[in-house]
Amino acid sequence: MTNHEHGAGSFSALPQATPAPTPDLETRLKELVLDSKDVVSFLTDVALIASSRLSSPGNRIHSGVTVMRRKRPVAVASSDRAARALDELQNGFKDGPCLTALRNGTALLVPDLAEERRWAHYIKAAQENGVSSLLAVPLNLAGEAEAVLNLYSGCSNGFTDEDISDAEAFASQAASSLRLVLRIAQLSEARNDLAIAMQSRTVIDMAIGAIMAENRCSRDTAFQILTKASNSRNIKLRDVATAVISSISGEKQIDTYFDE
Amino acid sequence: MYSHGADGPEQPDRAEDLRGPAERFRRTDLPLAKLWTYYYGLGGGMDEMSLDAYLHEALDVPAAQVTLIAMAMTELMEGESS
Repeated sequence: MTNHEHGAGSFSALPQATPAPTPDLETRLKELVLDSKDVVSFLTDVALIASSRLSSPGNRIHSGVTVMRRKRPVAVASSDRAARALDELQNGFKDGPCLTALRNGTALLVPDLAEERRWAHYIKAAQENGVSSLLAVPLNLAGEAEAVLNLYSGCSNGFTDEDISDAEAFASQAASSLRLVLRIAQLSEARNDLAIAMQSRTVIDMAIGAIMAENRCSRDTAFQILTKASNSRNIKLRDVATAVISSISGEKQIDTYFDE
Repeated sequence: MYSHGADGPEQPDRAEDLRGPAERFRRTDLPLAKLWTYYYGLGGGMDEMSLDAYLHEALDVPAAQVTLIAMAMTELMEGESS
């Protein structure tokens, strides 16, 4: 952003430092959204792409994605084992560049760990693991989740201005794809939960009916008998219900059929 | 469908006990939809909005339903920790 050339009468000069995202990347991300089995495998691909885009001969970039889970940072995906270890190392400390980047919502660069005075314990540990510079880029997920792309380099000043804006542009594209992946994952999880609930409810309702017939009691009372058995034996309600049915008919497998 | 009169000795019968699961829920970060689905799977008889209202102290529900809500929460948490 800093060094765009004025003059030459050009009024359409786009800042050189923010390269337009290539259609290649867009297509690639779209394919990843469709192909990835789950969120973790998508994020692993994101880390791999980030690493290969930013690495240059003599300066290999290790890349990892940390996601906030229950207010705790968890390393979920990485380009390689070293990046995974570095993310986990960072998450072991209460604060660090990754969490700071997330809080500020902007990329955070530590050009030279030897010069950095913040997060002293973490920085020392990272240096011991061969990190000389790092870049943390938050993925803006519009409040659906919180994630940061962590990039580590073994060279001091391992990230040029161009690298940083490239990483930011990549992160913003990856974030919108990630939102899609998350949406799909949530929907399919909800669908699976509902399918399980239907199965479970069938078994439980059937057991309630059996208890009602056997004890000549109301549905509420039958329910009470079943929940009491579950609580006192510390067995899941569904398993107690299955046991009730199989004790009557020997059937162990009660299926609920529905079209998908 | 569930009458208040069905409370037995095993059912929570004090106001405190009836609120317990709601308080417990607010200390977890269990998503409402996940809890409702599981509770429904146990034979729960309230819709998701009523469950939400109960969990936020806006609706009193029969003790039998409270038992199921508590059970759903317990079984869900067990599944997560294992």
